[in-house]
Amino acid sequence: MDKKRWIIPTVLAAVLIISLVWGYNQFNLRNDYETALINHYQRLFYDTKKHVENLQISLSKALVSDSKEQNVLLLSQIMNEAYFAQDKLSQMPVAHAEIAKTEKFLTQVADYSYSLIQNHLDGKELTSKQRETLFNLQGNSSNFNKELSLLHDKLIQGNFRETTISSRQRNKLQEANKEMVQTRLVNLEKEIGKSPELIYDGPYSDQILNKKPVGLGNKKVTKNEAERIVRQFVGDKKVSKITTFEEGKDMPKAAIPSYTFSIVPKNKSEDMATHIGISKQGGKVVWMANPRGISKNNLSMKQAEERALKFLEEKGYTNMESNYSLRYDGVGVFNFAYKEGDVTIYPDLIKIKVALDNGEVVGFDSSAYLMNHKKRDIQTPTITPEKAREAVKIDFDINSTRLAIIPKGNREVLCYEFKGKYKGSDFIIYINALNGKEEDILQIIKSENGTLTF
Amino acid sequence: MRKRSFNKRLFNVCILTIIFILVITLYKSESFPMEASAYQSSKVLYWGTRGQDVKDVQWKLRNWKYYNGKVDGIYGADTYRAVRRFQKKNGLKVDGVVGVSTARAMGLNFATTSRGAAPASSTAGINRKDDVYLLARAIHGEARGEPYVGKVAVGAVILNRVRHPSFPNTVAGVIYQPLAFTAVADGQMNLAPNKDSINAARDALNGWDPTYGCIYYWNPATATSKWIWSRKVTLKIGKHWFGV
Repeated sequence: MDKKRWIIPTVLAAVLIISLVWGYNQFNLRNDYETALINHYQRLFYDTKKHVENLQISLSKALVSDSKEQNVLLLSQIMNEAYFAQDKLSQMPVAHAEIAKTEKFLTQVADYSYSLIQNHLDGKELTSKQRETLFNLQGNSSNFNKELSLLHDKLIQGNFRETTISSRQRNKLQEANKEMVQTRLVNLEKEIGKSPELIYDGPYSDQILNKKPVGLGNKKVTKNEAERIVRQFVGDKKVSKITTFEEGKDMPKAAIPSYTFSIVPKNKSEDMATHIGISKQGGKVVWMANPRGISKNNLSMKQAEERALKFLEEKGYTNMESNYSLRYDGVGVFNFAYKEGDVTIYPDLIKIKVALDNGEVVGFDSSAYLMNHKKRDIQTPTITPEKAREAVKIDFDINSTRLAIIPKGNREVLCYEFKGKYKGSDFIIYINALNGKEEDILQIIKSENGTLTF
Repeated sequence: MRKRSFNKRLFNVCILTIIFILVITLYKSESFPMEASAYQSSKVLYWGTRGQDVKDVQWKLRNWKYYNGKVDGIYGADTYRAVRRFQKKNGLKVDGVVGVSTARAMGLNFATTSRGAAPASSTAGINRKDDVYLLARAIHGEARGEPYVGKVAVGAVILNRVRHPSFPNTVAGVIYQPLAFTAVADGQMNLAPNKDSINAARDALNGWDPTYGCIYYWNPATATSKWIWSRKVTLKIGKHWFGV
């Protein structure tokens, strides 16, 4: 009896001590993690602030400077600081919705500076409009700076701790953030939202972002007509059931507004469905994907390419030429570009995926083609291929030369395309066929799966 | 007598506590490097991987009669099934991916072999394998219950964000942006992606975009932010609504 009595309290005491020790360790661990996280966020904050400061200073200098060389240097600093600031800002523990416009502002400042650098290198002066834009950007970044300073004053008064994130602390975080980070950044967000759209030629510009497709044609297509197009495209015999994807009210705001269908093939289950999108304007097939598994490789890539080309011709896409390919997991993916005369037109791109077991086309994507394809007046080159060759390094070992149109920002440029090798690596060099300027360089990476360009 | 037994009891309690504290501290100090090594997984083989490491795996599996295909260094359907059989037999997690634990069970160590034998190639380490795997993990974490087209759509949204000025400019930047994806915040993204997710990531990287340029998606059943409903809604794929 006496023996048993001491067992329970001992065990309980032991359990208590164990949990105390365990809890204390956990507590310490948690504090360590929290400190590490807070330090990380503090660093991000100070970095962001510094980059925005530098950005503002460089912008002011660029406004004062009247030297082209100096301006190029300043603009490249602006580009750097803006990209850094954007990168750091996007890592801060703030909901994206609250800083989307600020992030966009920073990206576009960087992108805009890049396009101004190109202008300068082309020998063009800054226009008065561009100076005005720089002035506006400088104003915005100085506002940004002020908000960050105010935020900083609040943060050093105490609780940066509250801004740490964890799903369990989410509510607390939101309250604290409302007081601090977010209100300040939201103010800024409102200010920046008011500034006018930047008009320039770069990959992140609003002009590229809001680009409308030009290759669709004018005909409006009803859902029933679209369904008929689907049956025609896939082959009526193969279809057993067609269903439509549910659409939201803002479908017209999509890049290519479309009807999207699921097709269940005959004798197949629902999850073997093929998906297909038909543009509401013009009734073109935007994309098609058949996700069936492929286990055998019976076809060579050459045979698969022939199948793909035949498929394109059947669907009414003529003058298409395969440019590069990838092979993985039982499929071959081919990129076809439109060709007019002897000019390859890269913006008009169609991708086709061929199953290597029976040569069936299991994927189709013509969105790039539909965005860009139009009737073009292709200028005749004003310089000869020999002249263009002189613009390329003398020891660049050229395998092939041809004419091509490449996309550059919003524009399309007619170029001589030189494919070749330099010091053991493969490159494609584009020389403008009208003025002999080097427009672009692509590096080709050959892997066992196929060719990639960077 | 009573006093002595009391002392003895006290002594016992003390000994017990000391032992427990010792055990706990030992356990703690040991558990750290173990966790660390689990994250050091320098190489993971999965559907679509190629190379010498795959050949090693195929060779082992063939010797042990799990695999009867060719030792060709291509991680295809047969290898995938063989790996699953091996995992099932050996009480490992059956996911068809050769990670650290499966490799260890096979007696392989990629960490040292791959580093030692890395040849200097003209590609200088530039490839899309890493992008594919990162994107596949994000897709797997966010949309593993979705139909295939829904997986490609999630991948496409991530890539559309990379090209959009309001978002970071790299795939990793977009995926790890704070508060952007729940699967990243709760660690589901660190699960090994399956074949479907990897194929979906590849299709998305090859330019397939079932969303027609969307940069948002949400699940109406679990979405916590009211703000998301103020987005422009374009299309529903699986359980997700997509918007611009």
